[in-house]
This record gives sequence, C-alpha cells and structure tokens, in this order.
Amino acid sequence: MTQSRDFGVSRRSFLAAAGAFGAASVAVPRMALSQDGSVLTVRSYSDLQVLDPAFRLSLPEDDIIRSIFAPLLIPQAGDTWGWKAIAVDSIEQLDDVTVSFRLKDNIGFTDGFGQMTAEDVKFSIERMADPAMESPYAGDWATLKEVEVKDKLSGLIHLKNKFVPLWTTTLPTPASCILSKRAMEELGDKITTKPVAQSGQYLLADWQPKQKTILKRNPDWAHEPGGFDEIHIIPIEDPATAERGFEAGDLDYTWTSVSSLPRLKENPPAGSVVLEKPSLAYVWLGMNQDNEALKDIRIRRAIQHAIDRQTVVDAAYFGAASVGNGIIAPGLPGSRDSVAYDYDPDKARALLAEAGASNLFVTLDILNQSERLTAAQVIQANLADVGVTCEIKQNDSGTFWTLGSKDGEYFMNLQLLLQRFSMQPDPSWATVWFTPEQVGVWNWERFDNAEYKALHDQGLSESDEGKRDEIYRKMQGLMDESGCYVFLTHEVVGAIHRDTIVPGLKPNGESLLSEFKSA
Amino acid sequence: MFAAASEDRRQWLKPLVRILREPLGALGIALVILMVGGAALADFLSAFEPNKISPRDRFQGPSLTHLLGTDQLGRDLFSRVLHGGRIALSVALFATAASLIIGIVLGLIAGYGPRWLDNLMILLFDSIKSFPTVMLALALVTLFGPSLTAVVVVVVLVNVPGYARIIRTQTLALKTSEFVTAAQSMGASTARILRHHIMPNVIGPLLILASMDIPVVIAIEAGMSFLGLGVRPPTPSWGAILNDGFTAIRDTPWIAIAGGLPIILTTLGFTFLGETLRDVFDPRLKARG
Repeated sequence: MTQSRDFGVSRRSFLAAAGAFGAASVAVPRMALSQDGSVLTVRSYSDLQVLDPAFRLSLPEDDIIRSIFAPLLIPQAGDTWGWKAIAVDSIEQLDDVTVSFRLKDNIGFTDGFGQMTAEDVKFSIERMADPAMESPYAGDWATLKEVEVKDKLSGLIHLKNKFVPLWTTTLPTPASCILSKRAMEELGDKITTKPVAQSGQYLLADWQPKQKTILKRNPDWAHEPGGFDEIHIIPIEDPATAERGFEAGDLDYTWTSVSSLPRLKENPPAGSVVLEKPSLAYVWLGMNQDNEALKDIRIRRAIQHAIDRQTVVDAAYFGAASVGNGIIAPGLPGSRDSVAYDYDPDKARALLAEAGASNLFVTLDILNQSERLTAAQVIQANLADVGVTCEIKQNDSGTFWTLGSKDGEYFMNLQLLLQRFSMQPDPSWATVWFTPEQVGVWNWERFDNAEYKALHDQGLSESDEGKRDEIYRKMQGLMDESGCYVFLTHEVVGAIHRDTIVPGLKPNGESLLSEFKSA
Repeated sequence: MFAAASEDRRQWLKPLVRILREPLGALGIALVILMVGGAALADFLSAFEPNKISPRDRFQGPSLTHLLGTDQLGRDLFSRVLHGGRIALSVALFATAASLIIGIVLGLIAGYGPRWLDNLMILLFDSIKSFPTVMLALALVTLFGPSLTAVVVVVVLVNVPGYARIIRTQTLALKTSEFVTAAQSMGASTARILRHHIMPNVIGPLLILASMDIPVVIAIEAGMSFLGLGVRPPTPSWGAILNDGFTAIRDTPWIAIAGGLPIILTTLGFTFLGETLRDVFDPRLKARG
C-alpha cells in the first residue's frame, strides 16, 4: 500500500505561509527603482483626468502637461521665484501691454504635425482666453487683446491693459503650453487623457488609470534633455501611504504629510533627504451659501465662531503648521495676520438661537486623507459643542473634485467642505477662484460679490505693492463678512527624496518633473 | 424523567467537550468569548467616552489611565477598541445571518424550482460572484455614500451567492430522494416539503461554513472602514483605528496595534472555532483541508 501526500493548501497552512511571507517582506529591504539612473518614480496626489492645458484639474496634471506640451516658460527650480525659457529662444516685455517672443527653431510635434510655429502660439493662447471655450483658466489671459504673428517663429502678445501677474502666474504655468493648431482643429474638441501632437521634453507613453502614468524622454527634443529615460508617476492620494511607499523603496520622491515632517526631519530614512518649504497653499472650511440650511448668514457666522482654528490645525498637522488668516500666504501682498471672527462658542450658540436653527444637521465633505479626516473630526466636535450635528463624508479624489461643479448634480446639496487650493506667487491667483464667474466652477461656496470682483480686476493692473496689499486685504475681509469661509492654514510643504536624485522644485516645494536630475 | 433530562444535557455537552478538548477549539472559544464579552460590556469597561476628543492628551502611550494609549485626537483607544468591537461583531453577525437567510431561501427555490428558474438564478449568482469585492464596495459607496448599511449590503451581496449555491446543490440531490417523494405523494405542499424535509438536512454544513465566514466579514468591515468606505467618523471601528495608527506608525505604533490586534484575535478566534466545529461535526471535510 502506498501513501499519497496531500499538497492542497489548508486555511491553517495559508495563514502560516502568509505570516512567514509578511515577516520576510519586512525583513528584506527593496531597492529604489531609480538606482540604475534611468527611471524616476514619483508619487502624485491624484490621478490624471484631463491633459488639456485649458481644463486641467490638479497640480500633478500641470506637471505632466508642461512636460509633454512645451510651454513658453516654466517656473525656475530653486529657492527664489523666477522663470526659465523652454520653447522660446527669447521673450521680452516691450512695454506695459506688449510682449515679444521668438520660438526655438526645431521643436516638433509628434504624430506628424510638423514644427511648432508662432501660429501655434497664437492659437493656443487665444484658445484659452476665448470666452466660448469656457476655460476655468481664461482669467490667466483675461487682459489678452491678441497674439500677432510676425513670422514663422516670432510674434507679439498684445494685452488690453497692464497685467501684473503675467510673468509670475500666467507665462510660467501651463497657460503658456503650446498646442498644435492643426492637431487641435482635426481633434475638434478638448484633449482628454489621450494627448495629441506632443512636443515637450517627455512624451506620455502610457497611462494605467489609478495605477501609473509613464513619461518617456522625447527622442526628438533637441534642447536640454529631461534627466531620466522614464518617469513613473504613481497616484497615491494619502501622503501617509506615500511615505510608507518611500520607506519601502517604491518611490524616489514624494510630498509628505505635514504632520510627518517633525518625525522625518529628526529621523530620515537611510539614503534620503527631507525638505521643508514654505507653502503658498491655503486650507479652509467652506460653506455653500446657496444651500437651504446655510442661507441664513447668521448660521454661517455661527459656524465661523464655533470653530477652534488653532485646535483644528494643531490636531491635523501635529503642530507642524500654523494657523492661516486668509487665502494669501505670508510674504505676498495681501497677507493678513488676523480674521474677522474669533473662536467664541457662546456667540455661536446665540447666533444659532437667533436664527432659530435648533438641531441643525449639516454634512461636511472632505477628501479622503488622514489630515483632512483629523481636521474634520475636530470641526465635527466643535460643531457638536454648539448643538450642530455634523456628518463627515469622505470622498476619493475623483468624486471630491467634482462635488461643487455646476455640471454635476450634487452642488446644491453641498453644505460644508474642507478644501485646499495651491497657488502661484501672486495674490490674484488666490482671489481669482472666488469671483462670481467661478461660481459652480471652483467657487463652491457660491460666494457672489460684485465689489470683490471689481477689486480683483483692480488688483490685476495695480503694480504699487502698498495699494495691492490694501486691495487683497479688503477682498479677504469681504470673504470673512460673507460667513462662507473659515480660514485654517497655509500648511508647509514637506518632501522626501533619495540622495541619488536632485529634485526640481519650485520655491514652494511643488515639483517640476522636467527639472529632476540624477545626483 | 430526570434521567432523560440528564441524558439530553450530556448529549448537548458532548460536542462542547469535544471542542474544548481540541487546543485550537478551546483557544477559539476563549478568544470569541473575550471579544464578544468586551464588546457587550463596552459601556461598563470603558472609563472614557470613545468619541470624546482631547487634543491635549493626544499620542499618549499605554498607561494605567489609558490602557491602550490615545490617538491623534486624544481619544482613549481602549474605549474605542471595545466600542469598535460592537460595530465589527454586530456587522458580522447581522450580515452573516442575513446572508444565510437569503442564501437558504434562494438556494431552496433554485434547487427545488423549475429548471429555467434554476438557470436564471445560477446566472444571477455567478454574475454577482464575478464582481471583485472591493469594486462592488466602491460602486455601492459611490451610489449611496459610506455607511454601516453599505458595509452590510456589500457583505450580503458577496456571501449570498456562495450560500445559495451550496443549498441549491444539496436540494437538487435531495429533491428525488425517497422521503421527499413520500411526502409529495402524501399531498405535502412545496413549502412544507422545503421547510420540514429538505431544509433540516441541508442547513448543518452551511452553519459551519457561516461561522468560518464571520472573520471574513470582520475583515471586510475593517477593510472598508480603513479605506474610509465603512462607518462614518467619529464612530469607532477597528479599521478606522488602524487607519489612524497607520499615519503615525513609526512614532506611535500603539494606535495601529490597538486597531490591528482585535482584528487578528477575533479572526483567529472565529477561524479556530469554525475549523474545530467542522472537524467535530463533519470529519469528512477535515480530510479535504
């Protein structure tokens, strides 16, 4: 009689094997992907959704867009704000309303769309400014009169009037990315996630939704080449998850959560460099003034007084960030050191009683991230303290970034939201999102104030620093008065990278993928 | 009379004694009693209100005041773990029971009903089964928002096809047996045949299977809460505690341990208990592993 041995997997043997495998995977460190010097692996906080410069949705998309569609300028990497020419040989402000440019001679579009010309510049800039396009970034070119083509490579950008942020928040952004006129006319629509006629230092080689975006060095790019053969961009929403990925050797560069900065600075992982940069971002609690439950300004003001901003920020960022007082970061014209509402639960209760809002129930929509969730829970507790029941709704990035859109169905049900915007180094880039034109686009509080709009327009052409400071302070005062905003913090930016790479970063820590190099 | 009652009690105790004689069975029962007891007595055992935030006390390590330490909002983790146990166990028990009932009913209908209905239901079961659990959870949460109900619905949808298929197979086998034919010839209604003749004969293995599925359900609930798709904050859930701990795992590992340990202990407890139950009541399955 022979005995046969059963090699089937039982639940017990599976548990034992899984335990052993888990222990082994922790014990054996993995290697960084960039160690061969050809592949850079970075984390982005959201997956790409659109590659059209005129309709981009997030910073990670900005980074990809300006890598694959050559812009006139990009921000300069380093600790001071400035710009670097990419598609132009020369660019110069001739007077308050005229800028001349000359393109580099040999930038080509892929897919057989030929050489980049001044006609393409005219098309791309005027397309974004065209009101019929309804680009949320039309404001970047709000004062554009026309682009005049002088010859194949040269032209003049004519403005209707002086536009102070042109060199800080328009030209060095994807607003100056050049698309192929012929390719776009053939496409007849906006670019989605499939780019046409790429022209940058890198080309989009592959996009695996929610998994990976792969950029490859453009073999036809004849100027300063990108630093890596390939850049792999991994969408990881939660910075804490990204930190674990970095520690496990799966990433070469990532933003960290602000709350992790003290720990990482004190004890950086081997072979890594931790960076802390001043942030231009702003985080706030917004209130949709058109929602039925929040229509009464006394209720919104009550919520302003109910929130203990210091505790919210301390709890969410573990003391690494300080309380912010508006949408304009310190160091820029219009930055404030106080807000018009203080933490006063008694006043909040009185206002709620006056408005007859007993047993008020509100929802708070947040992006599903650890820091936001922590902040939201403190807000929830603060509101409970004044008798308001708050339900937290966590959303993935795909859902969250469409919540307040007028094209969706949810915007009128939106009540409270915890929001964070990044900005460029000009105050107008913060204020532009809260103008009446932006209601239902990025202005989800539906704050609609004509005086605010007039001040915004005035700020765009005012070059006197003192007057600009006054204008932008006044605008934030109007935001306070509306009751729609509780300003929380400007955060700081934390990043960590392998010591085998030199990251290309703006002064505020935002990445410029095309500027990353090997060490 | 007295002797008969004593005999009954011995009959009832026999399997229990057999389970307790198995080391893993005894350990399983002990762990299950510990976790269920902790959840049931959470209000008495907790010294702190589980949702009360106290930022000044954040990230305190385990101590006599806070047995498992505190989280990033200064909430007492021991209280949150005990109350989180209520969520995990109530979801597990309720969702498993609901899955069992629906699975049994659908399985009986598929197995005893006409062929076309059987084919249709098998198609339905296989369609549901072919959906990855996480995808299904994401789709439901996108439609209805994260909630405890969403967790229960996901678990029921995931479990029902498996249970229904088992019941259907056994019903098909019993449908033509002599005692069923006899009942039919005596004029018994379909409902009576299903309730009194078929169900008692098919339900035993399913109960064992269900007890072994409880840890899977607990893992689903914890997983969904970890991902922010389960219970809404600030309701304590083991998955949510694990997520809180994950953020600061290097500096304050006790939070992740507080969230992870009960999941491991409960999973092991129910797994050991389920496997011992299976070994005791159906030794044939043991041979299959």
